[in-house]
Amino acid sequence: MSENKSPLTDPRTGEALPQRVQPGYYPKWRVMREYRYWDAATRDVVTQRLEAPKPLRFFTAEEAGVMEAVLDRILPQDDRLPAQRIPLLPVLDTRLATNKLEGYRYEDMPPDQEAYRLAVRALDAMAQEIYGAPFISLTVTSQELLLKSLSEGHPAGAKELWSTLNVKRFWTLLVSDACAAYYAHPWAWDEIGFGGPAYPRGYMRLEAGRPEPWEFNEERYGWTAPADSISDYADPESGHTASAHGQAGTH
Amino acid sequence: MNWPHSKSPLGGAFEEPEHDGMHRLGPMQRISIPRRRFRDEDVVDYVIVGVGSAGGVLLQRLARAGFDVVGFEAGPFWDTERDWVSDEAGSHNLYWNDLRIIGGKDPLALGSNNSGKGVGGGSVHWAAFTPRFHPSDFEVYTRDGVGADWPIDYEDIEPYYELLEQEMPVAGPAWYPWGKPHGHPYAPHPMGAVGDALITGCTRLGIGVSAGGPVAILSASRGDRPHCIYRGFCIQACKVGAKASTLITHVPDALKHGAEIRDTSMVSRIEIGKDGRATGVHYFDAEGREHFQRARCVIVSGYAIETPRLLLNSACPGHERGLANSSGTLGKYLMAQAGNVILGRFEELIRMYKAPPAHALTEEFYETDPTRDFARGFAIQTVGPLPIAFAKQMMAAKGQWGWGLRRSMMDYNHWAAFGLLGEILPWADNTVELATGANEKDRFGLPVARVSFNLHENDKRLIEFGKNKTMDVMRAAGAVEVVQEQRFAHLVGAARMGKSPHDSVCDKFGRTWDVDNLFVMDGSVMPTQGSANPGLTIQSLAARTADYLISNHSAIQSGAKRSLEEPGIRKTLSPPGTFRSGIPHLR
Ligand SMILES: Cc1cc2nc3c(=O)[nH]c(=O)nc-3n(C[C@H](O)[C@H](O)[C@H](O)COP(=O)(O)OP(=O)(O)OC[C@H]3O[C@@H](n4cnc5c(N)ncnc54)[C@H](O)[C@@H]3O)c2cc1C
Ligand code: SF4
Repeated sequence: MSENKSPLTDPRTGEALPQRVQPGYYPKWRVMREYRYWDAATRDVVTQRLEAPKPLRFFTAEEAGVMEAVLDRILPQDDRLPAQRIPLLPVLDTRLATNKLEGYRYEDMPPDQEAYRLAVRALDAMAQEIYGAPFISLTVTSQELLLKSLSEGHPAGAKELWSTLNVKRFWTLLVSDACAAYYAHPWAWDEIGFGGPAYPRGYMRLEAGRPEPWEFNEERYGWTAPADSISDYADPESGHTASAHGQAGTH
Repeated sequence: MNWPHSKSPLGGAFEEPEHDGMHRLGPMQRISIPRRRFRDEDVVDYVIVGVGSAGGVLLQRLARAGFDVVGFEAGPFWDTERDWVSDEAGSHNLYWNDLRIIGGKDPLALGSNNSGKGVGGGSVHWAAFTPRFHPSDFEVYTRDGVGADWPIDYEDIEPYYELLEQEMPVAGPAWYPWGKPHGHPYAPHPMGAVGDALITGCTRLGIGVSAGGPVAILSASRGDRPHCIYRGFCIQACKVGAKASTLITHVPDALKHGAEIRDTSMVSRIEIGKDGRATGVHYFDAEGREHFQRARCVIVSGYAIETPRLLLNSACPGHERGLANSSGTLGKYLMAQAGNVILGRFEELIRMYKAPPAHALTEEFYETDPTRDFARGFAIQTVGPLPIAFAKQMMAAKGQWGWGLRRSMMDYNHWAAFGLLGEILPWADNTVELATGANEKDRFGLPVARVSFNLHENDKRLIEFGKNKTMDVMRAAGAVEVVQEQRFAHLVGAARMGKSPHDSVCDKFGRTWDVDNLFVMDGSVMPTQGSANPGLTIQSLAARTADYLISNHSAIQSGAKRSLEEPGIRKTLSPPGTFRSGIPHLR
């Protein structure tokens, strides 16, 4: 992560907020403190995520640089202390290296591996075309403008390269992969107040969002996204087109 | 249970289970590791392809009736203590993740959204909502001039609903008002905050709502199965053994009665002999070696994608378009239900990860209503996405990424989610075919399925209305922000049953019209799907077909004329201790 990113600010005072061990509204909650209450298989799976990430196998060093920068914008972590940032790229890299599939491929999409290789090239080509510099040396704002154009399905540049796949579906794949890595990590569960694994103990306080004896209530604070970022927005119209994205089961 | 041996709090965590050669199905139930019983050269009475929701019930029934039966299962035979975890990302291997190609105007996401792989099939990762179909579901064409009629009536399946509701068993209210009113054998579950929101919203709008079920989750312990601990990981498979799956409800009894399960064995082709009858199945074992198992009768229970794929991959002289496809309907009329997820943000905390995702629903909008501009209807149900699924829903529903997504996720505990479950009609252009691309083969070299899906006008209107109604309920419940994601749930159809060999793949018992000793029995036989989750109906149909097979066994073997007589219900085939356990009979 580069040093020149603006920190978050307090919306009332306009002052910079410090980086945290644990962002989010549950500063006392540490899911890993509960691991003795989990079954052995679950404990193994979750603790593995806290180990040092494995060396990359799928992405080349150059591709990895671009992907790292992209993932930094898809799920920015500048509010976390550097040692508390959740590794995303190694999880994606392992998925692609071991060909772990979602069980389907859209007919207008190449295999995931090809899609990522192509996207890295196209992102750099876009950056060169519009800003005359490689993607990794662009400002946060410029990087995000390029990414936003992908999220809308109308890439701002490198149109020829992008025309070989369905850009909206690629965007979904990318954000889904980032989410799958980030929100599988126990630190992310701390951040959002998710109670985590619960076998064999279970949950007892089901009603009205009450905390278990070992859970905590919220301590909210306001925060404003960095001034050079454009990614703190919502576009509720986007939920109205079916299946433009990867869908985990619900019912 | 081995709690007392542990030094950990509560007598748990469960330590790594001892290596005692036993196989664990939940924390209490142990069975000896299933061994191979039949040789490839043995001619077994029945081969079942796929030990899932339907296959598990068939296997158990046929074994209990004394037949030699082998269930082939492409996935593993789970040891629930070793193989399953209370973790979202760690449960990826429960699904059919092998390649499938999807297309059409409204492509269906598959994988974790749709099919299981491993003993228990989809009943391992289902949410276990178990509403019955309504009487109207069986005559949609007669009533509304759309879709199709079933070759059976509600009355034909009703006794099997009653049996399976006890065998699973189902928890729910004593008086369930929709369809044909009925009760449930186990007490309804306590409400989680999502269910509370559904009840509040519905009640404020004057909509009837069912609390605490119907759901195939134990609200009290039974035998060697503990009650639900409300940990909310149902879709990640229930380690507790409280949620019913055929792996824990029917498979142990099947093995006890001599059935064999050949797991990690993928059936690649059904063989047809010179006399036009099925002679057995070709399959690949765990090492990728090909074998042939001889059988007197073959039942395909691979679900709505793999069943048509296997029949298409089994094309042979005399069956050039695929087995059991003289009507041309194999692989057509695939259905999924509209499964929009409606998300509401509340000022107060919800914590939707607690309680089973499935715990309250309304079927008030199930039937055709002449004041609406579409046929058929929908249900509204609770769902409970865990963090990764919820993050993807925020991405889809709010178009978020970056800081916006981080911000929404920090409020995870303030959101509740409802699922629309809307009936999509069967259409000929919603299909399962074989993919033709050079790279579109599985690791055995077999063409994968290509699935095409398109919404039609009635479906679109139904989704629009149902989605808006569900959003109204969410607002009425007090949500300050309501968004939604369009998606699909549940597959059925693509090998439909019917009255005539000209427009269906199989008869009302799943017996294919073209090959006398070849049956299809799973979700793929459904002509329409209602707006009820399909699992209970799939298992009930399987129990009925088992009765038919038992009554007609020698006639099927000898090639006698096809009988379409109802076999009469056998109530002696249930797993022990399940029949007549406490169902309130409302007649
Ligand atoms: C997230 C989620 C939640 C759900 N929730 C509910 C719910 O709440 N209520 C409900 O009623 N339904 C629910 N469902 C749907 C339900 O799980 C399925 O409809 C049901 O399990 C289908 O039963 P089946 O017997 O037709 O097929 P399955 O249960 O899928 O069984 C098919 C089996 O066949 C095996 N197989 C396939 N081909 C081969 C082959 N060639 N060789 C060997 N083996 C093969 C597969 O590995 C699989 O195990 C849910 C589904 C999902 C994805
Ligand atoms: S909520 Fe209940 S049924 Fe669901 S996984 Fe947990 S214990 Fe099993």
